[in-house]
Amino acid sequence: MSYGTLKNYIGGEWLASPSKELLDVHNPATGQVIAQVPLSTVQEVNGAVAAAKVAFQEWRETPPMVRARHMFRLKALLEEHFEDLARTIVQEHGKIIDEARGEVRRAIENVEVAAGVPSLMMGYNAEDIAAGIDETAILQPVGVFCCIAPFNFPAMVPFWFMPYAIACGNTYIVKPSEVCPVSQNRLFALLDEADLPPGVVNLVNGAKGTVDALLTHPDVAGVSFVGSTPVARYIYATATAHGKRAQCQAGAKNCLVVMPDAVLERTIPNILTSAFGTAGQRCLAGSLVLAVGGAYEPLRKQLVEAASRIKVGDGLDETVQMGPVASRRALERILGYVEQGLREGAELVLDGREVRVEGYAGGYFIGPTIFDRVRPEMIIAREEIFGPVLGIIAVADFDEAVAVIESIPYGNAASLFTTSGKWAREFGYRVHCGNIGINIGIAAPIATFPFAGMRSSFFGDLHGQGRDAIQFFTDRKVVITRWF
Amino acid sequence: MELGTFGAILRFAIQLEELAVAFYEAAARGRLEEPFRMLRQGCGRRLQRLERARREGVAEMILESIRGLDSNDYGVALDPKADEAALQRQAVALEEMMGRFYRDAAAKMPIPEISRLFRQLAEENEKRKAEIAKADDSNR
Repeated sequence: MSYGTLKNYIGGEWLASPSKELLDVHNPATGQVIAQVPLSTVQEVNGAVAAAKVAFQEWRETPPMVRARHMFRLKALLEEHFEDLARTIVQEHGKIIDEARGEVRRAIENVEVAAGVPSLMMGYNAEDIAAGIDETAILQPVGVFCCIAPFNFPAMVPFWFMPYAIACGNTYIVKPSEVCPVSQNRLFALLDEADLPPGVVNLVNGAKGTVDALLTHPDVAGVSFVGSTPVARYIYATATAHGKRAQCQAGAKNCLVVMPDAVLERTIPNILTSAFGTAGQRCLAGSLVLAVGGAYEPLRKQLVEAASRIKVGDGLDETVQMGPVASRRALERILGYVEQGLREGAELVLDGREVRVEGYAGGYFIGPTIFDRVRPEMIIAREEIFGPVLGIIAVADFDEAVAVIESIPYGNAASLFTTSGKWAREFGYRVHCGNIGINIGIAAPIATFPFAGMRSSFFGDLHGQGRDAIQFFTDRKVVITRWF
Repeated sequence: MELGTFGAILRFAIQLEELAVAFYEAAARGRLEEPFRMLRQGCGRRLQRLERARREGVAEMILESIRGLDSNDYGVALDPKADEAALQRQAVALEEMMGRFYRDAAAKMPIPEISRLFRQLAEENEKRKAEIAKADDSNR
């Protein structure tokens, strides 16, 4: 399957980029080129911003109920093309088809929530704040926003932001990941069918040059980003220095704490899903298991046994449980961390480097990999690997587990497996992570709840999704009224 | 083929319903025309429910293999050109086999909503079997 050279969608038209710089997009299961993505020029970014700015005035005057109807149309189109979208995600990213279906579902859920904008955007008022004076708070759209999207959820992540932004009356530009740009291209074909006015949504392919042009453009009001911590820090600093709102979701090193009283037969599948689902390329993936006291021995044994049975292969094969990683570069980086773990003295108890997938010699495969005897000061315990590599750290008690979590600079997610309400409460109370799971391996908020991490996992204040998204994409204004 | 994932199980369920649709369509004649038409329509609704489950039931993926389900254990010989009595027996066998699959899959499926759906479909298969038998009674 080839998608050819991808185009930009600007002002309601599909435009071929004049850029001579093209990157190949690979199917990670086969290594074959499935598309080429242009690195768009500054002029193209300027064109997209200009189109979005022109569209803004009429769009903000469009009643929220009418804007919501566009969301309903988009939802219907997404349902109609659900399977096709899921298969595109598998082809460009490598995740298994069920995970891709889950990704499309999560994107749709955000459209469903954003369709509630006529209620979500309502303000409030009070009579007689002083004698004969009334005060009203209203929410107004701001202008042109953009999203700089990651490769790990290429379809879903822009939908944490865009549906809310446009439902609130803003206009929008998506810059997809240059590693996995195809599914956004397909989604924009549906946005085109949803009959939004030209310029309300725009797609500009590219890489760092494209991003810089967006971050420094005076007519861009705000940016939403998801990716690694160094890039998030750069984007937040650059965007805010140029007077923009910014919400930058960054890297992670998520810990899964297993108490001695945990229900192991339910805990093991949760850990497997967390660590090895989407080949460990989730910002919510568990990458360290902190086994408390007597939990360590049985956990280690059962975890290795269960992980060794995971079937690795092409994500389009529905019997497969784990696909390849997204790119050769990602594979090489992950392999580098495995070498690093060995150099640091961790014990490699399950070696995913040995995995071979018959008929897919060119694919970027690495199987589930588990290190035991990991120590908190090791690099593999402190840095984000973003692959199917899980470390096990034995800790003496709950307090030591919390201390390990707090010593890691990231604060995206942490989970506790226990049957004790006391420990569960302590965990939620003390741990500085944005997403806490109690007997849940992937603490992923649904669309009605905000999503972001803490510490080095997030730069900004308002999170993605839910009410936070409505606040991020609106200005609050008060009108104080007295009639003579 | 081993059915070890959510997707593989749902796909097999959909294939079974499609098999039933094709059989009831090809075999609907004589006194079986109306009951088979109704059964085929029922399959259409069941297919919609399964497709919706496939799309909406994947919120929590369980990576640990689902064990002990194999598509080779759920076969039935169907010949839509057979005489009416044989067609009726085949329809009963088909419904029995599908019901057995849904009961087995419900017991192994770790996602409660999908498990519930499979149990409901298995109960329906029992009712559908009774409908097939009724067609026989009404013509005696």
